[in-house]
Amino acid sequence: MKKFILSLVCLTMAGIALAQNATLPQNITIKALDGSSVQTSALQNDGKPMIISFWATWCKPCNRELNTIKEVYEEWQEETGVKLIAISIDDARSATRVKPHVNGNGWEYEVYIDQNQDFKRAMNVVNVPHTFVVNGKGEIVWQHTSFVEGSEEELLEIVKKAAAESAE
Amino acid sequence: MKINYKHYTLLALMACAGLGANAQGIMGGHVTGNIQLDGQISSADSIIGAQDVPEKLLMNARADILYTNGDFSAGMRFEAYQNPILGFNAKYKGQGIANYFASYNGERLSVTVGNFYDQFGSGMILRAYEDRYLGLDNSLLGIDVVMRPFDGVTIKALAGKQRYYWEYGAGLVRGIDGEVNFNSIIKSMADSKFRFTMGAGFVSKYEDDQTIPYPENPSFKLNLPLNVGATAIRADLSYGNWGLQCESAFKGQDPSIMNDYIYRKGQAQMINLTYSQKGLSANIQAKYVDNMSFKSVRSESGEMLYINYIPSITKQHTYAFLSMYPYATQTTGEMGLQADLMYKFKKETLLGGKYGTDIHLNGSVITGLDTSRIGGAGTYGYTTAGFTPGELYYADASLEVAKKLNSKLKLTCTYGYQIFNPIVEGHHGDLHHNHVVVGDLTWKLNKKNVLRFEAEWMGSDSKYDSNVDDKRCGDWIMGLVEYNFTSAWFVSLSDQYAYNDGVGNYYNLSVGYTHGATRLQLGYGKQREGLLCIGGVCRQVPASNGLTFSLTTSF
Repeated sequence: MKKFILSLVCLTMAGIALAQNATLPQNITIKALDGSSVQTSALQNDGKPMIISFWATWCKPCNRELNTIKEVYEEWQEETGVKLIAISIDDARSATRVKPHVNGNGWEYEVYIDQNQDFKRAMNVVNVPHTFVVNGKGEIVWQHTSFVEGSEEELLEIVKKAAAESAE
Repeated sequence: MKINYKHYTLLALMACAGLGANAQGIMGGHVTGNIQLDGQISSADSIIGAQDVPEKLLMNARADILYTNGDFSAGMRFEAYQNPILGFNAKYKGQGIANYFASYNGERLSVTVGNFYDQFGSGMILRAYEDRYLGLDNSLLGIDVVMRPFDGVTIKALAGKQRYYWEYGAGLVRGIDGEVNFNSIIKSMADSKFRFTMGAGFVSKYEDDQTIPYPENPSFKLNLPLNVGATAIRADLSYGNWGLQCESAFKGQDPSIMNDYIYRKGQAQMINLTYSQKGLSANIQAKYVDNMSFKSVRSESGEMLYINYIPSITKQHTYAFLSMYPYATQTTGEMGLQADLMYKFKKETLLGGKYGTDIHLNGSVITGLDTSRIGGAGTYGYTTAGFTPGELYYADASLEVAKKLNSKLKLTCTYGYQIFNPIVEGHHGDLHHNHVVVGDLTWKLNKKNVLRFEAEWMGSDSKYDSNVDDKRCGDWIMGLVEYNFTSAWFVSLSDQYAYNDGVGNYYNLSVGYTHGATRLQLGYGKQREGLLCIGGVCRQVPASNGLTFSLTTSF
């Protein structure tokens, strides 16, 4: 038991010591809503910040988050140039419902399906929702798991900061 | 598969590969990972049937460490079950390096050696995956190669053995799969409204011979196929607002404990039609599964060593009473139909009001197959009457209305009706007919304080019978109050109580703290016995009673 806790602590410290601003993994295959394959290197926003949000059709807080941001997305885009990329982790049970779900909700986001969860694993996502902010250089500058009404304001502050840095 | 020198050597090799890359001038690289701890301090409770836990504290822990440097990555996972928490198989007891891999991910080629996860199409013939909350891990230990020779074409080839708790199953799994996206390879189709992707795969399993006596005459043994093949073809088409996905899978003779060693071939068919536009979406799905349990070890009857994955098409409900009777696919044979409709009444209309109203309708019916028996082990088993439905297994219908009342209040009301046949969980008995009503109110007091209330009622014609001991029977009520201070803190208090024809009182108090990607949660109370469904997979968990804690973090 002692050994095990010790090794966990060591691993955590090694992780924190080495964790600089990680960048997005480049060559992981995800699916666009039309069924075609896309590499994660294609997730770009011309040097402006991106929000990458892992979600699922069956996840209530994820849907609350994406529906809440929908109301203010246009303002956010005008203000910061941000782009939201929604990565669905729905598996075979519900993956076919992703496209109707997105259209039905009227989401104007870029949406991909990570059915084999390769991207989810590479980003160390444990639970959904899990939201990342990526700055103009492609570095992950912030992440958060869980969503409650009102926390979109905090997200906007982070995005504004990332946008200001990108503009420098 | 505990820690041994082999693993240290491999880790050393991985580290060297990383350092080597640095030495060649590709400086940097990142270490990322995630850690999860789940613990229970449990005490026995005869009313809800919680078992006495002699070691008092049960704990699961895992840490994934991932090193990435450009196109190269390597990782390992440490797991410890000291001892496994309730609901996890006792075979997990122990600790060690459960998973390790090294991977090159180039633009045109990806190669992974070690443990890997992959799937062909939707997984009807192959899906190596894990669900950490259900204790499922079918990762393959071997080699996985993915080639993208030009845009729009993907070819996968893989071989390996499947994880079985701390060991690996004896069966060898090999597979090849190809997928073509016609909009990428045919230039004139690049901007077409018509989108078309097709794919096909083949999987073969090899397992040594063993002696299974022929029951009609035990001096004979079954002539078992050592190689079992399965193949699938799939298509994904869309035109404007319309979409169509279909997949068809076939499996050769595969006598196993799952089908009582019959020699019937297997098949699965799935078709899904969708229509969607802004504010409206509809989807209808049909499924047919016949003798499609495909495992890498023929004598394994538990939840592990599945090569394929055939999901349930029923809706994944999230409210407690609606998900109390989850439906798990009967891979031995079933057919079903499912439909979904989502509509948004626009703002400033009669039903939309100031903020608009969302409605969501859903229905599904699943039945067994209409079969005629031929014989038992060593025979073709049975014949079917084509696509004729058999006994009713499950049906449900639900209507959900979600409405923002004003800038602070949001209300969701749901009504659901379910018919559940206990035979799908291996019990005989009457059908359960349940009505469920849920009200869910979110009250945003201000920017930082949010309250949520949930009330549920379930009326059922089922009655608790101590011989069957199904603790879901009877009529139930439930209340839940949740307070959130920003997305950092929450406290929730809930109680589920059987007021008629049932037994049990499940109260729970939970407190959670989230900071960035770190989340700590403490709970005290009683956990319901029954099937636990997360991410579309269901398995039985026993009741627990006491203190639980959970920590997850990513870095």
